[in-house]
Amino acid sequence: MFDILDTGASGLMAQRIRLDTIAGNIANINTTRDADGKNDPYRRRFVVLAPGRADDPSLPGVHVQQVGIDPSPLIRRYEPGNPEADKEGYVSYPNIDLSIEYVNALEASRAYEANVTIMDTAKSMFTSSLRLLA
Amino acid sequence: MFLDRLLNQGNAPLLEQWLQFTEARERLLAEDVANVSTPHYQQKDLSLAQFQSALRERMNLRDSSPPGAVRFEDISMDVQSPRHNLMFHDGNNRSMEQLMTDQAKNALMHTLAVELLRQQYSVMEMALRERVS
Repeated sequence: MFDILDTGASGLMAQRIRLDTIAGNIANINTTRDADGKNDPYRRRFVVLAPGRADDPSLPGVHVQQVGIDPSPLIRRYEPGNPEADKEGYVSYPNIDLSIEYVNALEASRAYEANVTIMDTAKSMFTSSLRLLA
Repeated sequence: MFLDRLLNQGNAPLLEQWLQFTEARERLLAEDVANVSTPHYQQKDLSLAQFQSALRERMNLRDSSPPGAVRFEDISMDVQSPRHNLMFHDGNNRSMEQLMTDQAKNALMHTLAVELLRQQYSVMEMALRERVS
Protein backbone atom coordinates (compact mmCIF):
# COMPACT_ATOMS: atom_id res chain seq x y z
CA MET A 1 0.00 0.00 0.00
CA PHE A 2 2.91 2.35 0.67
CA ASP A 3 4.06 2.20 -2.94
CA ILE A 4 0.80 3.92 -3.93
CA LEU A 5 2.05 6.96 -2.01
CA ASP A 6 5.34 6.84 -3.93
CA THR A 7 3.44 6.69 -7.22
CA GLY A 8 1.33 9.68 -6.21
CA ALA A 9 4.42 11.57 -5.07
CA SER A 10 6.07 11.05 -8.47
CA GLY A 11 2.94 12.54 -10.06
CA LEU A 12 3.07 15.55 -7.73
CA MET A 13 6.73 16.13 -8.56
CA ALA A 14 6.18 15.87 -12.31
CA GLN A 15 3.25 18.30 -12.27
CA ARG A 16 5.14 20.75 -10.05
CA ILE A 17 8.10 20.78 -12.45
CA ARG A 18 5.62 21.30 -15.29
CA LEU A 19 4.10 24.24 -13.44
CA ASP A 20 7.56 25.68 -12.73
CA THR A 21 8.34 25.52 -16.46
CA ILE A 22 5.06 27.25 -17.30
CA ALA A 23 5.81 29.94 -14.70
CA GLY A 24 9.21 30.49 -16.30
CA ASN A 25 7.60 30.87 -19.71
CA ILE A 26 5.09 33.44 -18.45
CA ALA A 27 7.76 35.36 -16.56
CA ASN A 28 9.88 35.59 -19.72
CA ILE A 29 7.11 36.39 -22.16
CA ASN A 30 8.78 39.66 -23.15
CA THR A 31 12.45 38.70 -22.65
CA THR A 32 14.42 39.62 -25.78
CA ARG A 33 17.95 39.28 -24.44
CA ASP A 34 19.85 36.35 -22.96
CA ALA A 35 21.78 36.26 -19.65
CA ASP A 36 24.86 37.85 -21.35
CA GLY A 37 22.82 40.76 -22.69
CA LYS A 38 22.96 39.59 -26.31
CA ASN A 39 19.91 39.88 -28.57
CA ASP A 40 18.61 36.31 -28.21
CA PRO A 41 14.91 36.11 -27.32
CA TYR A 42 13.77 33.55 -24.76
CA ARG A 43 12.32 30.38 -26.26
CA ARG A 44 9.36 28.56 -24.77
CA ARG A 45 10.23 25.52 -22.62
CA PHE A 46 8.09 22.40 -22.27
CA VAL A 47 8.42 19.23 -20.22
CA VAL A 48 8.36 15.72 -21.66
CA LEU A 49 6.86 13.21 -19.25
CA ALA A 50 7.53 9.47 -19.34
CA PRO A 51 6.04 6.56 -17.36
CA GLY A 52 8.03 5.06 -14.50
CA ARG A 53 9.92 6.68 -11.64
CA ALA A 54 13.07 8.72 -12.15
CA ASP A 55 15.22 6.35 -10.07
CA ASP A 56 13.66 3.16 -11.50
CA PRO A 57 11.55 3.41 -14.67
CA SER A 58 10.22 -0.13 -14.12
CA LEU A 59 8.27 1.03 -11.02
CA PRO A 60 4.81 2.59 -11.50
CA GLY A 61 4.81 6.38 -11.60
CA VAL A 62 5.88 9.23 -13.85
CA HIS A 63 9.00 11.34 -14.28
CA VAL A 64 10.21 14.30 -16.31
CA GLN A 65 12.32 12.84 -19.11
CA GLN A 66 13.54 16.19 -20.39
CA VAL A 67 12.78 19.89 -20.47
CA GLY A 68 12.73 20.73 -24.17
CA ILE A 69 12.96 24.01 -26.05
CA ASP A 70 10.11 24.80 -28.42
CA PRO A 71 11.61 25.23 -31.92
CA SER A 72 8.54 27.05 -33.34
CA PRO A 73 9.20 30.47 -34.89
CA LEU A 74 9.55 33.55 -32.70
CA ILE A 75 6.82 36.20 -32.74
CA ARG A 76 7.83 39.19 -34.85
CA ARG A 77 6.25 42.58 -34.27
CA TYR A 78 6.76 45.69 -36.34
CA GLU A 79 8.34 48.26 -33.97
CA PRO A 80 10.76 50.41 -36.02
CA GLY A 81 11.47 52.78 -33.10
CA ASN A 82 12.55 49.96 -30.78
CA PRO A 83 16.34 49.71 -30.27
CA GLU A 84 15.96 45.91 -30.49
CA ALA A 85 14.48 46.16 -34.02
CA ASP A 86 16.29 44.60 -36.98
CA LYS A 87 16.99 46.29 -40.35
CA GLU A 88 13.37 45.84 -41.43
CA GLY A 89 12.01 47.31 -38.19
CA TYR A 90 10.83 44.03 -36.66
CA VAL A 91 11.48 42.96 -33.07
CA SER A 92 11.55 39.21 -32.28
CA TYR A 93 9.70 38.18 -29.12
CA PRO A 94 9.51 34.81 -27.34
CA ASN A 95 7.25 32.20 -28.97
CA ILE A 96 4.94 32.12 -25.94
CA ASP A 97 1.14 32.32 -26.10
CA LEU A 98 -0.28 33.40 -22.75
CA SER A 99 -3.63 31.66 -23.22
CA ILE A 100 -1.92 28.34 -23.98
CA GLU A 101 0.29 28.70 -20.90
CA TYR A 102 -2.76 29.50 -18.73
CA VAL A 103 -4.61 26.40 -19.94
CA ASN A 104 -1.50 24.23 -19.42
CA ALA A 105 -1.11 25.69 -15.91
CA LEU A 106 -4.76 24.90 -15.15
CA GLU A 107 -4.32 21.33 -16.39
CA ALA A 108 -1.14 20.86 -14.33
CA SER A 109 -2.90 22.25 -11.27
CA ARG A 110 -5.86 19.87 -11.67
CA ALA A 111 -3.53 16.90 -12.20
CA TYR A 112 -1.65 17.91 -9.03
CA GLU A 113 -4.93 17.98 -7.07
CA ALA A 114 -5.91 14.58 -8.49
CA ASN A 115 -2.61 13.08 -7.29
CA VAL A 116 -3.20 14.56 -3.82
CA THR A 117 -6.68 12.99 -3.77
CA ILE A 118 -5.27 9.59 -4.72
CA MET A 119 -2.72 9.80 -1.89
CA ASP A 120 -5.41 10.85 0.60
CA THR A 121 -7.59 7.94 -0.48
CA ALA A 122 -4.70 5.48 -0.15
CA LYS A 123 -3.98 6.79 3.35
CA SER A 124 -7.60 6.38 4.44
CA MET A 125 -7.74 2.86 2.95
CA PHE A 126 -4.60 1.94 4.88
CA THR A 127 -6.02 3.46 8.08
CA SER A 128 -9.26 1.52 7.70
CA SER A 129 -7.26 -1.70 7.10
CA LEU A 130 -5.38 -1.08 10.36
CA ARG A 131 -8.72 -1.27 12.18
CA LEU A 132 -8.67 -5.00 11.50
CA LEU A 133 -6.01 -5.20 14.19
CA ALA A 134 -8.03 -3.20 16.70
CA MET B 1 -5.84 -27.92 10.28
CA PHE B 2 -8.43 -26.73 12.79
CA LEU B 3 -7.08 -23.17 12.70
CA ASP B 4 -7.00 -23.23 8.92
CA ARG B 5 -10.66 -24.30 8.79
CA LEU B 6 -11.59 -21.75 11.45
CA LEU B 7 -10.01 -18.88 9.52
CA ASN B 8 -11.35 -20.01 6.14
CA GLN B 9 -14.96 -20.49 7.07
CA GLY B 10 -17.76 -18.08 6.23
CA ASN B 11 -17.01 -15.07 4.11
CA ALA B 12 -13.56 -14.25 5.55
CA PRO B 13 -11.49 -15.65 2.61
CA LEU B 14 -13.81 -13.97 0.15
CA LEU B 15 -13.45 -10.62 1.91
CA GLU B 16 -9.67 -11.01 2.08
CA GLN B 17 -9.56 -11.49 -1.69
CA TRP B 18 -11.78 -8.45 -2.05
CA LEU B 19 -9.30 -6.39 -0.04
CA GLN B 20 -6.41 -7.61 -2.20
CA PHE B 21 -8.37 -6.70 -5.32
CA THR B 22 -9.14 -3.17 -4.11
CA GLU B 23 -5.51 -2.65 -3.10
CA ALA B 24 -4.20 -3.85 -6.47
CA ARG B 25 -6.74 -1.68 -8.29
CA GLU B 26 -5.79 1.37 -6.21
CA ARG B 27 -2.16 0.89 -7.32
CA LEU B 28 -3.19 0.94 -10.97
CA LEU B 29 -5.45 3.96 -10.47
CA ALA B 30 -2.60 5.83 -8.75
CA GLU B 31 -0.33 5.08 -11.71
CA ASP B 32 -3.04 6.24 -14.16
CA VAL B 33 -3.49 9.54 -12.31
CA ALA B 34 0.29 10.08 -12.08
CA ASN B 35 0.52 9.58 -15.87
CA VAL B 36 -2.49 11.69 -16.82
CA SER B 37 -0.24 14.05 -18.83
CA THR B 38 2.20 11.47 -20.20
CA PRO B 39 2.13 11.16 -24.00
CA HIS B 40 1.13 7.74 -25.40
CA TYR B 41 0.28 6.35 -21.96
CA GLN B 42 -2.63 3.90 -21.98
CA GLN B 43 -4.68 3.66 -18.80
CA LYS B 44 -4.63 0.39 -16.86
CA ASP B 45 -7.41 -1.11 -14.78
CA LEU B 46 -8.73 -4.35 -13.30
CA SER B 47 -12.20 -5.42 -14.33
CA LEU B 48 -14.59 -5.36 -11.37
CA ALA B 49 -17.19 -7.38 -13.29
CA GLN B 50 -14.68 -10.15 -14.06
CA PHE B 51 -13.50 -10.25 -10.46
CA GLN B 52 -17.06 -10.51 -9.13
CA SER B 53 -17.79 -13.26 -11.65
CA ALA B 54 -14.66 -15.20 -10.62
CA LEU B 55 -15.57 -14.85 -6.93
CA ARG B 56 -19.13 -15.99 -7.56
CA GLU B 57 -17.92 -19.07 -9.44
CA ARG B 58 -15.51 -19.95 -6.63
CA MET B 59 -18.26 -19.50 -4.03
CA ASN B 60 -20.64 -21.77 -5.93
CA LEU B 61 -17.86 -24.34 -6.19
CA ARG B 62 -17.17 -24.10 -2.45
CA ASP B 63 -20.85 -24.61 -1.61
CA SER B 64 -20.86 -27.89 -3.51
CA SER B 65 -17.47 -29.12 -2.22
CA PRO B 66 -16.21 -30.53 1.10
CA PRO B 67 -15.10 -27.90 3.69
CA GLY B 68 -11.61 -26.56 2.99
CA ALA B 69 -11.41 -28.10 -0.48
CA VAL B 70 -11.82 -24.84 -2.37
CA ARG B 71 -9.42 -21.92 -1.86
CA PHE B 72 -9.74 -18.31 -2.92
CA GLU B 73 -6.09 -17.24 -2.91
CA ASP B 74 -5.38 -18.30 -6.50
CA ILE B 75 -7.93 -15.93 -8.10
CA SER B 76 -5.89 -13.76 -10.47
CA MET B 77 -6.87 -10.88 -12.73
CA ASP B 78 -5.33 -9.50 -15.91
CA VAL B 79 -4.54 -5.81 -16.23
CA GLN B 80 -6.69 -4.27 -18.96
CA SER B 81 -6.80 -0.98 -20.82
CA PRO B 82 -10.24 0.66 -21.04
CA ARG B 83 -11.32 0.79 -24.68
CA HIS B 84 -14.21 3.22 -24.41
CA ASN B 85 -12.08 6.27 -23.55
CA LEU B 86 -11.46 9.10 -25.97
CA MET B 87 -7.93 9.15 -27.45
CA PHE B 88 -6.30 12.57 -27.15
CA HIS B 89 -3.85 14.13 -29.61
CA ASP B 90 -0.86 13.11 -27.45
CA GLY B 91 -1.84 9.42 -27.63
CA ASN B 92 -3.06 9.31 -24.03
CA ASN B 93 -6.54 7.87 -23.42
CA ARG B 94 -7.02 9.63 -20.09
CA SER B 95 -10.43 10.18 -18.50
CA MET B 96 -9.96 12.13 -15.30
CA GLU B 97 -13.65 11.95 -14.38
CA GLN B 98 -13.69 8.16 -14.75
CA LEU B 99 -10.45 7.80 -12.78
CA MET B 100 -11.64 9.89 -9.82
CA THR B 101 -15.03 8.12 -9.80
CA ASP B 102 -13.34 4.70 -9.89
CA GLN B 103 -10.95 5.55 -7.08
CA ALA B 104 -13.82 6.85 -4.89
CA LYS B 105 -15.85 3.68 -5.51
CA ASN B 106 -12.78 1.51 -4.93
CA ALA B 107 -12.11 3.21 -1.59
CA LEU B 108 -15.72 2.71 -0.50
CA MET B 109 -15.61 -0.99 -1.45
CA HIS B 110 -12.35 -1.38 0.47
CA THR B 111 -13.84 0.26 3.58
CA LEU B 112 -16.95 -1.94 3.33
CA ALA B 113 -14.86 -5.12 3.02
CA VAL B 114 -12.74 -4.08 6.03
CA GLU B 115 -15.83 -3.49 8.15
CA LEU B 116 -17.39 -6.83 7.21
CA LEU B 117 -14.10 -8.66 7.85
CA ARG B 118 -13.67 -6.90 11.19
CA GLN B 119 -17.13 -8.11 12.23
CA GLN B 120 -16.21 -11.68 11.20
CA TYR B 121 -13.01 -11.57 13.27
CA SER B 122 -14.90 -9.99 16.18
CA VAL B 123 -17.41 -12.89 16.21
CA MET B 124 -14.49 -15.40 16.17
CA GLU B 125 -12.82 -13.53 19.01
CA MET B 126 -16.01 -13.57 21.10
CA ALA B 127 -16.31 -17.33 20.54
CA LEU B 128 -12.68 -17.87 21.58
CA ARG B 129 -13.04 -15.74 24.70
CA GLU B 130 -16.40 -17.42 25.49
CA ARG B 131 -17.77 -13.99 26.23
CA VAL B 132 -20.16 -11.67 24.46
CA SER B 133 -18.87 -8.10 24.63
